[in-house]
Amino acid sequence: MPVNLALGHVSNDFLIAALVIYSLSVVAFAGDFAFGRPRRAGSAARGQQARERAGALAAVGAASVAAAADAPPDSVVGPPGPAGQAGVAAAGSPAAVPDSMPEVAVPPLRAIGQAGHWVQAAMALAAVGVVAHTVAVVTRGLAVHRAPWGNMYEFVTALTCVAAIFFLFVMVRYRAWTLGVFVMGAVVVALGLAETLIYTAAGQLVPALQSYWLDIHVTAMTLATGIFFVAAVLGVVYLTVDRYNRRVAAGRAEPGNGIVRRLPSLEQLDRLTYRTIMFGFPVWTFGVIAGAIWADQAWGRYWGWDPVETWAFITWVLYAAFLHARATAGWRGRRAHYIQLLGFTSLMFNILVVQVFIAGLHSYAGVS
Amino acid sequence: MTDVRAPEADPFESAAEQDDRETAGRDRPGRGFSLADWLKWGWRQLTSMRIALVLLFLLALGSVPGSMLPQEGTNPAGVQQYYASHPALAPLLNHLGLFNVFAAPWFAAIYLLLFTSLVGCVVPRTFRLVGSARTLPPRAPRHLARLPRSAEYGTALAPVQAVEVAATVLAGHGFRLRRPADAGEAWLSAEKGYLREVGNLLFHLALLGVLVSVALGGLFGYKADRLLVQGTTFADTQSALDEFYPGRFVSATDLGPFTITLNQFDASYISSGVQRGQPASFDAQISYTAHPGGPALRDNLEVNRPLSVDGAKVYLIGHGYAPVFKVTDARGQVVYDQPTPFISGSSGNFLSQGVVKVPDAQPEQLGFTGVFVPTAVEVDGVLESVFPAADHPVVSLIAYAGNLGENSGIPQSVYQMDTTGMRQLTADPQVLVPGQSLKLPDGQGTITFTGYVPWVSLAITHDPGQLPALICGLAALGGLLLSFMVRRRRVFVRVRANGPAGGVQSTVQVGGLTRTDASGGFEDEFASLAAELRSAHDQAAANSVLYKRSRYAKNPAVAGGRLSAPIARAGPKGPHSRVGFA
Repeated sequence: MPVNLALGHVSNDFLIAALVIYSLSVVAFAGDFAFGRPRRAGSAARGQQARERAGALAAVGAASVAAAADAPPDSVVGPPGPAGQAGVAAAGSPAAVPDSMPEVAVPPLRAIGQAGHWVQAAMALAAVGVVAHTVAVVTRGLAVHRAPWGNMYEFVTALTCVAAIFFLFVMVRYRAWTLGVFVMGAVVVALGLAETLIYTAAGQLVPALQSYWLDIHVTAMTLATGIFFVAAVLGVVYLTVDRYNRRVAAGRAEPGNGIVRRLPSLEQLDRLTYRTIMFGFPVWTFGVIAGAIWADQAWGRYWGWDPVETWAFITWVLYAAFLHARATAGWRGRRAHYIQLLGFTSLMFNILVVQVFIAGLHSYAGVS
Repeated sequence: MTDVRAPEADPFESAAEQDDRETAGRDRPGRGFSLADWLKWGWRQLTSMRIALVLLFLLALGSVPGSMLPQEGTNPAGVQQYYASHPALAPLLNHLGLFNVFAAPWFAAIYLLLFTSLVGCVVPRTFRLVGSARTLPPRAPRHLARLPRSAEYGTALAPVQAVEVAATVLAGHGFRLRRPADAGEAWLSAEKGYLREVGNLLFHLALLGVLVSVALGGLFGYKADRLLVQGTTFADTQSALDEFYPGRFVSATDLGPFTITLNQFDASYISSGVQRGQPASFDAQISYTAHPGGPALRDNLEVNRPLSVDGAKVYLIGHGYAPVFKVTDARGQVVYDQPTPFISGSSGNFLSQGVVKVPDAQPEQLGFTGVFVPTAVEVDGVLESVFPAADHPVVSLIAYAGNLGENSGIPQSVYQMDTTGMRQLTADPQVLVPGQSLKLPDGQGTITFTGYVPWVSLAITHDPGQLPALICGLAALGGLLLSFMVRRRRVFVRVRANGPAGGVQSTVQVGGLTRTDASGGFEDEFASLAAELRSAHDQAAANSVLYKRSRYAKNPAVAGGRLSAPIARAGPKGPHSRVGFA
């Protein structure tokens, strides 16, 4: 079936629109840091109480729904600065109650409502951007009559769409909008680079890709990459906060940094990253298995150490190492995050370098 | 159920905790360490999570050269090229096994150590799992409000009755229960989520299964290649195969004796736009017999659509052009008339090279080196192919006469010609279009380019490890999901008698904790369990013969409107190690 060029143009327009809207949402997220009103700071006594409760909550998950019903809306517990590792920073900071993380008493939408105009605007823009982005991906698929992730440009637009949708969910579910500026910022950068550097017009696929396994294998890989993308940004935020805390502990930085104070605590960031990777890892595993089945159909062997297969394997091993590191004394926290970032680096290396510059059976990037 | 001795420590420990303990300082190497102690120490080190992590890193690191350097298995031509361009470095790399990383002894050492470590970790854990499945959960702690999750409410039931009701509810949710031996005590312990560890073990064992399956395929499988020109037939015997890579325990007699004929091959290409020249579809029409004398069956081989025949699979993996040449020698006899497969190089658009060897030509043997150009355009005196389909095919030939050297005993490639014993007959390459002939000088004969036919290259594989590998891979995925989605949790119920004042005869305390709840959700589960317990208690109280309407009406706290929302509390993290997951 021929490519529907008109629909392809519609897709491009939507993608540009999504890029612009995302950029605006990043500006709004940043505006929240700069101008957003801080959350009602409770009295010192209640702050102390809230801190204790938050500590307990952080240890077991988050406040229960039942607790939610009883708690007055403004006794929402948040992390008082970086809880856990926080002795130093928390002691110095007032009983501030940041406005995001963990899951708290108030229903998500009301929490957003209370978070201030900047957050409301940013979330609304992010949501509209996600819709435009999704429409762009879907129309591209309709234009080319196949799953719209057949070359690298399409792959990046799809994976950033997954990352944006997934993160929107995380922001609502875990009130993690203070992370929005980082994750949505990374989405804007990735999408912008895709648009300017590797744009590929809508087109057909070579016979090797004409298989329903494209839909299965590459969809899984796209999903997993989008999820790992979010985890990687969270990991960078984690390491930044961790570094700041250690500098404060060493007396080399002023405690009470306004941005760090409003971010989730290290423990919460760590748990969020862990959950994200726990979600992505089985998807990646499935993608590798589906790829092996497809490779068996197309090339006569299910595993042949083709460069892309090798790097998918390396990525899998590194994320497996992250999961194990988190359960190993001496490897939790910072080191575990270095490992997952290494895993994401290998994933990006696979997509950006191996598929483009190293000859192999997977050379479908369509980048010239 | 009887009250068995409460376990001293939870029999269910993660490897991580085991690791913590092990490095705590016992049994370090030192003076008085015997060989047995060393072995024990070494085994403990190997099976520790720390070493497993290091091995995982080594595995990732060791794979890197396998993708950066050309490998014997996937790209032998690349290896030769590397030797040519790095004559000093290449032998060194080869010595380190870097051109065949995934079969190198050091790579095998890494993954075998890793799997040994895995076995050493998994097997004891399996025993512990079995052990913990046979041990009852610990007794309910005295102060349930100190647990991470707890709830408290009143009921009109007597303590023992209330415990009975709670037991029914929890058993209905599949919890394993433990009740006090002393009938006077009113508490209940419940535990659930053993599948988590089952999934974890399944994942690791399945990975082991994948390794075994790969080894199975390597030992008992084979892989072969065959180039088949349109209109010809081949039988799957070793002599008919171009390449044959048998596993260690495979001999030529294990080949399935099927035959395949290529009736027709069609390739179509995108003819316009930026994708011009990219293939759009391949279709090889074949007929085959599964065994000699069997019925001829027809099939279409396509990319992504292999043929299964006689335990083997046949794949379409490549294609090209075979120009047909007719050669008459000096005597006027036709000494060569057949398609000659040419191989396309990296120059694109199927600009293909090949040789024509005519050993029967008289008085001298003849040879031609040639280039086939499917859609030829001359650019600055050089022929280029601008499209992969044969829209304007030409061949360009250089003729030689002399000794082809085929009797020297050294096996020769059919795609290359040794011209050392020959002299060049034509100064420049001679370009022919189909039907055109080239008259050789000095009446040496004539070569006619009569046309072309396509050829396909087929891969024939047999891999008995394939299905086991798939099953193990899926089992690993299933185990992973189980271990990520199931959480091990304990719920305790304690009922205290209040005296009959105000209809609230007893106070029910419910407490719960989970070990690893990284995926979250225990708080919700606990809240709904507590609500269900409360509503069951209210229901039972309502049905009870002791139930008195007047009392009930006065005490909305007992069975008031908020059945679904018991007061759940998050207590401070107390010392509940006795009931926790050690």
